[in-house]
Amino acid sequence: MAAKWIELVTGSLEQKKQYRQYKARIEALPEPYGTVAKALERYFMYYGGITDGDTAVKMMGDFADLWDRAVADGTPVRSIVGEDPVEFAETFVQAYAGTQWIDKERARLTKAIEEAERAEEAR
Amino acid sequence: MSKQMTEMLKGTLEGIVLAILSVQPAYGYEITARLREQGFSDIAEGTVYALLVRVEQRGLVDVEKVPSEKGPPRKVYTLNATGQAYLEEFWRTWSFLSERLEQLHEGGK
Repeated sequence: MAAKWIELVTGSLEQKKQYRQYKARIEALPEPYGTVAKALERYFMYYGGITDGDTAVKMMGDFADLWDRAVADGTPVRSIVGEDPVEFAETFVQAYAGTQWIDKERARLTKAIEEAERAEEAR
Repeated sequence: MSKQMTEMLKGTLEGIVLAILSVQPAYGYEITARLREQGFSDIAEGTVYALLVRVEQRGLVDVEKVPSEKGPPRKVYTLNATGQAYLEEFWRTWSFLSERLEQLHEGGK
């Protein structure tokens, strides 16, 4: 999934440029912010499944903004991610859920039930 | 924060944050600070940030980037008309839920 994710964000030249800028911003974070940001990023790749390049680029931009702000304010990493980093990571990705691959399956499931319901009523 | 508190907050935090924004526009950290003042001492800044990103994606708030004295510009969130309507619905839902729960609570005594 990680490879696919990178492929999707490198889809267009513009997105490739934005992706490189994003990577540079994360690389430039001082410790321990860099480590935390990269650990979260890794989790996003496995959990996220965002299939739309524009959404992925937007998400990464917002994510980098969050860390730049934390560095500027000197906010401890724990106050950013909270007691449960998994919870935080999943909430963050879900904010961009409009274009997740699972949405296609959600629509398919909803449609299947609606069709079954119609067939039931027609009997 | 207890597990139960975390679970209950999950369903209401969005309304709480919109209610804070209905008083005046604010940026992420200000909202977290307000929540902490009001006793939600363990709330993570990232949780509020993620929530703000979500309400932005759903068009409930307007966002303005304001330069800050240090670091990147701050994103200031303002409740818009859609957000206001959403917040009113939240309060109606909340009144219904809290009334029913209170009745159950009284009945169980």
